[in-house]
Amino acid sequence: MRSLFKPETAVIKGIKAQTPDTATYTLAFADAKKQSDYSFRPGQFNMLTILGIGEAPISISSPVDERLTFDHTIRRVGNLTKAMSSLQEGDTVGIRGPYGNGWPVEEMRGKNILLIAGGIGLAPLRPVIQQVARHRRDFGSLEILYGARTPADGMFSDEYAGWRGVSDTKLWLTVDQVPDGNRWDHDVGLVTDLVEDRMESKPQNTVVVMCGPEIMMKFVVKALLARGFKPGQIYVSLERRMECGVAKCGHCQMGPIYVCKDGPVFNYAEIKDLPEEVL
Amino acid sequence: MALAEPLVYAARAATLGGKDLAFLVSQLAGKYQVFGPTRKDGEIALGPVQSLEDLELDYVTTLLPPKKYFYAPFDTIFSFHREGGVIHEENLEERRVLFGLHPCDVNALLLLDRVFTGQYEDDRYKRKRENTLIVGLNCNKPGENCFCSSFGTGPDLRRGYDLLLTNLGDRYLLEAGSGAGEELLHELRLKKAEPQAFLAKENVTRLAKGAIKKKINTDNLPKILNQNFGHGKWAELKEECLACGACTIVCPTCYCFNVFDKLDLTLKHGERQIVWDSCVLLEFGEVAMGGNFRRTRAARIKQRIYHKLSYFETQYGALGCVGCGRCVTACIKKIDPTAIVNAIRGE
Repeated sequence: MRSLFKPETAVIKGIKAQTPDTATYTLAFADAKKQSDYSFRPGQFNMLTILGIGEAPISISSPVDERLTFDHTIRRVGNLTKAMSSLQEGDTVGIRGPYGNGWPVEEMRGKNILLIAGGIGLAPLRPVIQQVARHRRDFGSLEILYGARTPADGMFSDEYAGWRGVSDTKLWLTVDQVPDGNRWDHDVGLVTDLVEDRMESKPQNTVVVMCGPEIMMKFVVKALLARGFKPGQIYVSLERRMECGVAKCGHCQMGPIYVCKDGPVFNYAEIKDLPEEVL
Repeated sequence: MALAEPLVYAARAATLGGKDLAFLVSQLAGKYQVFGPTRKDGEIALGPVQSLEDLELDYVTTLLPPKKYFYAPFDTIFSFHREGGVIHEENLEERRVLFGLHPCDVNALLLLDRVFTGQYEDDRYKRKRENTLIVGLNCNKPGENCFCSSFGTGPDLRRGYDLLLTNLGDRYLLEAGSGAGEELLHELRLKKAEPQAFLAKENVTRLAKGAIKKKINTDNLPKILNQNFGHGKWAELKEECLACGACTIVCPTCYCFNVFDKLDLTLKHGERQIVWDSCVLLEFGEVAMGGNFRRTRAARIKQRIYHKLSYFETQYGALGCVGCGRCVTACIKKIDPTAIVNAIRGE
């Protein structure tokens, strides 16, 4: 009998360091049939297991039409993610998923996309960028605003040139600070500063997709609303504690919403008036 | 075993004398693992039962509610070998009877059913529910903290049972509420209930209802609570509540849990366990890097009350409290949902 909580074995096919504390793990299910049946939407997540350590929700960071493998970009911040960093190619982990709703890709078709990310928040948005790049004519302009702590903390930095090469695409980068000796040719400041000083996107015919620390999203949403964007055109991906991923453990509840099942992507209009303040 | 031969065997309802009740319990214990209210260290707790003598049917509430039979406080989902993967899943095929559950607790199971089924069905919970017969016992002695009548979840039971007992004083009325219950009645060849037994039941129910002192006005309750998120009562309660979590542990509808991997001494084998958690504990909303989405005690107390009396209805179509009163009984400070709601409603 299949248990709702029982993970499937997946093999680490590759590990690529992203930043000093973050790496992208390329995985494939050990069972080839399971892998070929597996599909997901951009913005969904898996529950990732290391037996004996535990389980954690991690968003999928690879393009949806890559069917032989899938990626998780993981920052070492907790028990599981720290244990993950000691694993090597060929080691196995457990996977349950995909869970959650994902980004509103259908709604984004034909629209301009303003993509705003902070830190590891770029991971669940990478599949959106890849989808736009691979199906360029399905979407309008793409503008990316991305902030990290320092130049060394930028995720997917070897892909920026490729993203800039996608037609009708702009990429603005900022860091909180530049340590001595680092070279940095972009902005220094908050993501909110990019919204104020660099952003070219206009509210008309634009969908905003955003993921990052809640404090960043809170101020970016404010800045966007001040520039005429409407709550209904802003989508945010939220983080909450999750023990199960399937609306049972109760931890991720936010008012009547289960972030794991009803999110993690929310239209800002849906959540702005919850009794419990969200952003 | 032959009882006095009744003229007509019961299809839907029977009356039982003291001996018949003992016969019923022993017959069930012969076929099923039976659990019911038992006396334990001066308290009443649900535990294994072999015969009527083991049961304490004259009780208000058990310490823990019956949820522990569907997911235990420490419940193993599977065991594993760290290299070899998942190696064993629990046998869920044991056929059980929960005997003598009060209406509040049976209604609580019906609410938990909504949580554990639906879009993501928990097959373990479902299998255990399917393999468990429910013998309800109507309540004729409500406790000082009971307020089930506010939610229509007591003192009499109207759904969710296979068999239902009502203590009529000199005898019990036993009614079937499912096909399985009818079969049991038929097999036991019990005496068909006479019409007077149902009149006696109505009387018992009426008296029990009259004995319930606490009430919550549920009219428009979710909306009224949502409009009073900033009410002064919450600031007052955050000074009262010790955030110990006792209320959620004893609550028959609280279901939140953590998931832990427990390793044995070899550090090679282990079990993945569900462990009951509580939204009033500080750690409940904690995430990596010291983040916490409900750091203040006021936010945590509100989460408990709002989930029961507002959000649960949005999520599952009914209020999430059955008025069993356990949270009041278990609370050192006697924090009482009826008093909270009355204060907020200004009633």
